[in-house]
Amino acid sequence: MKTEKQPVKTAAKPKVAFFDFACCEGCQLQITNFGELLLDVLGAVDVVEFREAISEKWDGDYDVVFIEGSIGDHHAEERLKKIRARAKVLIAYGSCATTGGVNGMKNSFELDEIRQSVYGKDYKLFDSTPTKRVDQVVKVDYYINGCPIYIPELVEVLKCALRGLPYSVPDNPVCAECKLNENVCMYERGLACLGPWTKAGCNSWCVNNGNICYGCRGEVTNPAKNANDVIGKYNLKPELIKAKFDMYNKCKEGVK
Amino acid sequence: MTEEIKNSNWKLRKGQIIAAKQMTATEKWFDIKLEDGDLDHEPGQFVQVELYGIGEAPISVCSSPTKRGSFELTVRAAGRLTKHMHSMGVGDWLGIRGPFGKPFPVKLMTGNDLLFVAGGLGIAPLRSLINYVIDNRREFGKVDILLGCKTPTDMLFGDEIKTWEKRLDVNFSCTVDRTAPDWKGNVGLITSLIPGVTINPEKTFGVVVGPPIMYKFVIAELLKKNLPERQIILSLERHMKCGMGKCGHCQIDHPKNYYCCKDGPTFTYEEVKESKKL
Amino acid sequence: MNYHILKKTELDGFVKKLAKTMKVCAPVAKGHNNFAFEEVTSAGEIALSYIPTILPPKKYFMPPREKMLDFDISEGKPKDTASFDSEKIALFGVHTCDLAGIQCLNMVFSEKPRDYNYILRKENVFIIGLECNGYCDTHASCALVGNHYPNGGYDLFFTDLGEKFIIHVGTQKGEELVEGMGLEKASPADLSALDKVREGKKKTFQNEIGVDPKSLPAIFAKGVDSKVWTDLGAKCVSCGNCTNVCPTCYCFDMADTINLDLKTGSRNRTWDSCQFETFATVAGGENFREERGARQRHRFYRKFKYPLDKFYRAFCTGCGRCTRTCMAKINLKDTLRALAAESK
Repeated sequence: MKTEKQPVKTAAKPKVAFFDFACCEGCQLQITNFGELLLDVLGAVDVVEFREAISEKWDGDYDVVFIEGSIGDHHAEERLKKIRARAKVLIAYGSCATTGGVNGMKNSFELDEIRQSVYGKDYKLFDSTPTKRVDQVVKVDYYINGCPIYIPELVEVLKCALRGLPYSVPDNPVCAECKLNENVCMYERGLACLGPWTKAGCNSWCVNNGNICYGCRGEVTNPAKNANDVIGKYNLKPELIKAKFDMYNKCKEGVK
Repeated sequence: MTEEIKNSNWKLRKGQIIAAKQMTATEKWFDIKLEDGDLDHEPGQFVQVELYGIGEAPISVCSSPTKRGSFELTVRAAGRLTKHMHSMGVGDWLGIRGPFGKPFPVKLMTGNDLLFVAGGLGIAPLRSLINYVIDNRREFGKVDILLGCKTPTDMLFGDEIKTWEKRLDVNFSCTVDRTAPDWKGNVGLITSLIPGVTINPEKTFGVVVGPPIMYKFVIAELLKKNLPERQIILSLERHMKCGMGKCGHCQIDHPKNYYCCKDGPTFTYEEVKESKKL
Repeated sequence: MNYHILKKTELDGFVKKLAKTMKVCAPVAKGHNNFAFEEVTSAGEIALSYIPTILPPKKYFMPPREKMLDFDISEGKPKDTASFDSEKIALFGVHTCDLAGIQCLNMVFSEKPRDYNYILRKENVFIIGLECNGYCDTHASCALVGNHYPNGGYDLFFTDLGEKFIIHVGTQKGEELVEGMGLEKASPADLSALDKVREGKKKTFQNEIGVDPKSLPAIFAKGVDSKVWTDLGAKCVSCGNCTNVCPTCYCFDMADTINLDLKTGSRNRTWDSCQFETFATVAGGENFREERGARQRHRFYRKFKYPLDKFYRAFCTGCGRCTRTCMAKINLKDTLRALAAESK
């Protein structure tokens, strides 16, 4: 094996920074909840910026940056571009960053209508743009989908980033993993679940814990052509599934 | 832990790269020495290359078994593993399983004329047989080699091919799909070279290796020359993962349930003509 | 081989005694008419009347994720050690369809080159079958493939005779176990009661699709380009549920995992599915089974056509799991009927 090219072997550990944009910062919280794994991660990298856990700032270049959140105003776009310019590798993590996430729902309405309802009559003083995913603003090297991110996947992606290997988000439906976990299908329980259309990679985390799949990892590239057959078995209307999908996947349709 | 598990087909032999050369922008050549002896392969077989921590990929052996002490691979940077392999060089180690697969039917070919047709990277597996035949030249009849590449810069084994061109006991022709300023040879698809070859259908084996799209047209040309289907030998490409005919990835959509890794990769056209895809 | 008797009231004692010597796994109710093989320590936990479990017992023979090798690349030359771990298990309550499934996998992995990870794990499993006196549900097609009756594949085989189980001993290992437990031998009356159950089943279990199973190979030989596959392709979600739950699907993938030290790691085998888009794709990008219809056809041919030539039997056990689990209502029995109708 080629070993000398692997950056981690060098004395200086890779500089890693975490930044957040429009989001709930829940993905950062997931990272602080790593538990023992956090020590392993800290053994492999040097975290130089992380708002939820450390207050220091770093003014050098970054080996790896993690971007959380979607982009919702001009200031954020500029800030993101500046970060990208200083980063060797950029990882978008969490639904907001990778697919637009719940922030994408903003794009279902006229922008001014949204601004008015949020900021009141002086809304014009407040900058706001339709929601963008991170890759609609800058180049993204790695994606970690999910709301919140699934920690084992983040670790996999981090390892790929440190070794310069590509990572592809699994493009099979969540069912593929859910079945291996031998969960009782949510449809059998009488609940409409987005597993059959949503990208796997989370090890069916929600269903394992008794929840339906909300589609937070985004729709598979090549979904079932005939959704009616899928839900027809359970007498559900396609509109219901589509409406459920809107929660996380509105940005898929692009920015108005 | 039992001996069966330790010595199973999953056991990785350790190989070290003793020579390497970037051949084209996308192909790199490696000479690999196993720490525990020869690979002991036959022409047309493949190995599983393990890059620890990345995974395995099936790669055809491109050297002839007449070359002893080490074996050679030509690797196209196509997937995650092969791209990484391009960053490796002399002294680096890798894991090897195999050799796997049914070799070219050398015994059957002995005493007959041979027509080799290689397209693109197809020259790599075919080279294991061509060099075998050259090293055992008196065992075979007339030998024709036809090679096709996209452009002159895509040609693999250029230096070695020059020696084939010079040999009196081998007829070599080459064509490129797209020409370049300093190219003086043929321009056109590989099929254009076949009508010019004299074939005795009674005693000729056509050995064709190239991308799936090439097979249909080359085979049609060979059949026009009255070459029997059982004398057309192909090497098919599938994603062999286990090499044991179990994992299912390389199974060919054919009534006979062929596993490319075990029943192939070499087949006669007669054997596989009912396949959904070649 | 002998027949023994276990009173139903003694089942709990039997399970508890067995659990002292090895891990006992049996069907357990998961709610919503779903069942799963799980570890049990008493009879009360076992669902004696159950429809085929979500995953078949193959999970004990080839785990969904299995470590094959540990490696260390901290020095130039890699080091590796084969990895294998397995414990003694008794599988209790395996229906005849699943016994047939295990027999199929045994053949696959015993065929050369042998897969010792499978074989050694198999040798650690003690199998106790359980007869179905009636159908589990309408999705089953066990009579079509002759799996409604036991055809071997067990150490012990239980048949419910009302107040008691009659146990057929299939192996010496089984004989030693029932002898050790001191189970009484079956009486002639018990044996005739068993005959009566079997006789009754003849009426209950009838060829579910009305197509002679002997004609299936010819039907499949003719049906390669059938419209049936296009229809299935239009429905299929490519979720892999049908293959994951199939007792005879065994396709797998191998992948490496590296630890955060980026020096040590493992090679792992995981279940794979021919229904996934990437399954037959080569590194250069060519996908040899791009259409969903082609992938569904492949699944059916791997049940009803290919294995007949290689293993002299269909690899469909009639358990009905693929139909039960399909999100897109792809129905095995309907598919076979449609294919048969077309070939007439």
